[in-house]
Amino acid sequence: MIPVIVRLEVRNQNQKGMVLFLPVILAWIFVFALLIAVLPFVLVVALVTIGQGLGKRLLLFYPFFFATVLALSGLRIDVKSSANGKVFISFD
Amino acid sequence: MGEETKKILEMLHQGKITVEEAENLLAAISSENPSREGSTKNAGARKYLRVQVESEKEGTRVNVRIPLKLIRAGLKLAAFLPNGAQSQVNHALQQKGIDLSKLTPADLEELVANIDDLSVDVEGNADVEGKQKVRIYSE
Repeated sequence: MIPVIVRLEVRNQNQKGMVLFLPVILAWIFVFALLIAVLPFVLVVALVTIGQGLGKRLLLFYPFFFATVLALSGLRIDVKSSANGKVFISFD
Repeated sequence: MGEETKKILEMLHQGKITVEEAENLLAAISSENPSREGSTKNAGARKYLRVQVESEKEGTRVNVRIPLKLIRAGLKLAAFLPNGAQSQVNHALQQKGIDLSKLTPADLEELVANIDDLSVDVEGNADVEGKQKVRIYSE
């Protein structure tokens, strides 16, 4: 499932800080719209450069990029330090 | 007859392995714990690679959970890196004593496919840079 919200938590050593819930779904909508908008140009460039191998790469970029975005869900990074505080990033 | 036995017999039939090798493989299967099948099923259900680092120095704790799907997708996406960038990355890694230039995408795929059984525990030298503990496993 595509990550909808990114939770970003930053705290200092005194446990003071902030928790942000970023609606990353909005960014995906923008990115996907952009990718679809440039698709005709990508197809033209891919057809022109298919002999050099670049065309195939360009065409395969779309499915691989979507697969990577879909797989982001569940990624969690948690860094705690008694000296510097805490950073927590979660893709849900 | 188990699936592994069938595969071994098929490989023998196709001439991929010798009779002696097949015998060894069958012996290895039969000597394994009966609970192994259950653990393999659990391994297939594993979804995340967990990296935990604990350092006494500054009391740092790092806990990263990476979906295995993301690793697979990232490996495929990494193939889109321009050759120049890839060689620069390899060069930078070689300066740190890591040589990944001989590692092919097929090798990486195999590594990720078998990551289910991975469990690495590393304990650092306390005298040099404070006690450090690194644990990598799948869950």
